[in-house]
Amino acid sequence: MKRIRISRCGSQLLSQPTTIPRRPICPYAAAALQRKTTTSHNHRIQVRLQSTSAASDAFDLEEASSGSGSQPSKSSRLETKHTPLEGLPSPHPSAAERSSKLAALRSRLSLPERFPLQTLARTLVHPSADPNPAFNNASLAVMGANLLGYYTTEHIICNYPRLPIEVLFAAQEAYIGPKALATIAAEWGIEAVAEPGGEVDPGLLQLKRLRPGENPNPGSLQPFKPVKWNITTTHRIMKGDEFGVKKAFGSAPLSVNQPVTLETAAQSFVRALVGSLHLHLGRPLAKRFFRDHFMSRHLDISKLFDFRTPTWDLSKLCAREGFEPPIARLISETGRLSRHPVFVVGVYSGNDKLGEGVGSSLDEARVRAAAAALKGWYLYKPLDVTVPSSTEGIELEKSNWRPNLVDCGEVIC
Amino acid sequence: MSTSTPITRLCTKAPRTSLLPFVQLRHESTSRRHKKLMHLPEAPSYTPTRSAPTLVFNPPSSAPSAYHTPLKFLPPNDRRRKLNTEALKYASATSHRQQTSALAAPGTPLHIASHLPPKPSSMLPPPVRKPYEKKYTLGEVEIAEIRRLRLSDPDKWTRVKLAEKFGCTQFFVGMLVRVPEKHQRVETSHQKARDMWGERRRGAREDRIRRRAMWGRDE
Repeated sequence: MKRIRISRCGSQLLSQPTTIPRRPICPYAAAALQRKTTTSHNHRIQVRLQSTSAASDAFDLEEASSGSGSQPSKSSRLETKHTPLEGLPSPHPSAAERSSKLAALRSRLSLPERFPLQTLARTLVHPSADPNPAFNNASLAVMGANLLGYYTTEHIICNYPRLPIEVLFAAQEAYIGPKALATIAAEWGIEAVAEPGGEVDPGLLQLKRLRPGENPNPGSLQPFKPVKWNITTTHRIMKGDEFGVKKAFGSAPLSVNQPVTLETAAQSFVRALVGSLHLHLGRPLAKRFFRDHFMSRHLDISKLFDFRTPTWDLSKLCAREGFEPPIARLISETGRLSRHPVFVVGVYSGNDKLGEGVGSSLDEARVRAAAAALKGWYLYKPLDVTVPSSTEGIELEKSNWRPNLVDCGEVIC
Repeated sequence: MSTSTPITRLCTKAPRTSLLPFVQLRHESTSRRHKKLMHLPEAPSYTPTRSAPTLVFNPPSSAPSAYHTPLKFLPPNDRRRKLNTEALKYASATSHRQQTSALAAPGTPLHIASHLPPKPSSMLPPPVRKPYEKKYTLGEVEIAEIRRLRLSDPDKWTRVKLAEKFGCTQFFVGMLVRVPEKHQRVETSHQKARDMWGERRRGAREDRIRRRAMWGRDE
């Protein structure tokens, strides 16, 4: 759908804990800035810088010294005063090293040792548990969502260039939609806390749970409702996100202390994990992780179609492509005069069979055959596919670009 | 035991009335003929042309997969076009090799008596509905006339009558001109009739609509 500038995203995220960014990069950060809640956590920022940042140690120290130099009085006061663990909104980063759950999760996902446990712990903190953007996973989740959308979209579009846009959106939803991500998190064995806090195990998903019967979207957080009811497909492509839905981000800043459902928190964890993998391990390993955990899930795209007038669509398609008009022919039948007849009808254009359908009436078999022929058209898969992201990176890992097939579009009646 | 014909059968035998010559009728009465009839030709994949061991792939008959793009739908520069043409050539050569003999051709008695499945042929199956050529004969004048007639008296000039008069489809008439008042009236009367339906009839109609929608989803 859209091209993201990965280099900019990465540098912003890694240097984020030093100072509050002037331009907030995600709505959670914007909301937190408005509420001025970040000042109470500055004592933890210093600790965090030395432990979780992916950059070198010298860089860390330099940043730490500059950070403490900018706010000398407050940081020194807070460092001397010891805060009890129960007072923290989420587990302390230093607890990540001692958590067996985090180590188990890292080895279960086959992540290398150089992926820090502190970052893994940070991806498990949802903004509803910890409103501080330096400690929750909001920024990583935004980046991970963009990466997931980019990789999935290019995979589907390059492999199925003729797919109608509605089916494309549905396939995106099936691969990386909220429900799919929540399922993936559950399959990874992610467990959630009953109540977030500094004393709980950092290997648990930290979120403030929605109470039973509570409205998940109160007040300004209603999901986007279109002003116009007839939103066009073009509008959905241009203005929507990868699922064809207008983004909730940007329209209204999300409040940080609002309770969320487990599904929301789990999906933000999966996105944040992909984002942090990209930052710490680089593009090739992140892509391999994406291929192993997301593209390996089987999705039968042929089940996503819903044709209303398949025979009409097919004759329009044949007229557009310059084929002979389609003719339904009865290939075989049995029990025409019985209670359960079966007809096998094929749709032919000239001498070529386009599709075949089975039905208990001639009309049913004809319509099914036309739908099968349309699926045969839309589900065309080229033999040689070069996705755009495979040409990025250094010389060794990138492949030569060969242009993909670009289709002129779906049949519109 | 005597092998001669019993007296009773001789008496009951009817005399020959016709002077036509005897025609030999062969039924599948003996086991030998039955066995011959059941002898099916081998599948093409089981009859390799080479003596070297080959892979035999003979899947059971099933509906074709939607992921197999028909030859006509492949772009011109796709490599599968060439492969497909070669496969087609091989298949036609095989079917020609095992072609039905002239004696068993359609229309002969041997063909009718046989219970065998039809041998492959190059003939296309019969069409489900009679194919028709699309005619684009109506001009501006006729279209204006259709609109005038339909709007002047929608009860007399129904879509069926106009389609018959001008030689087009009812669907085309509906595309040209709509009469919302009549549509409203007819819809109200139909709704009134529908409201009198009982539970069974209503359920049956709703199920029919639901089944019809399943055709397009391939369920």
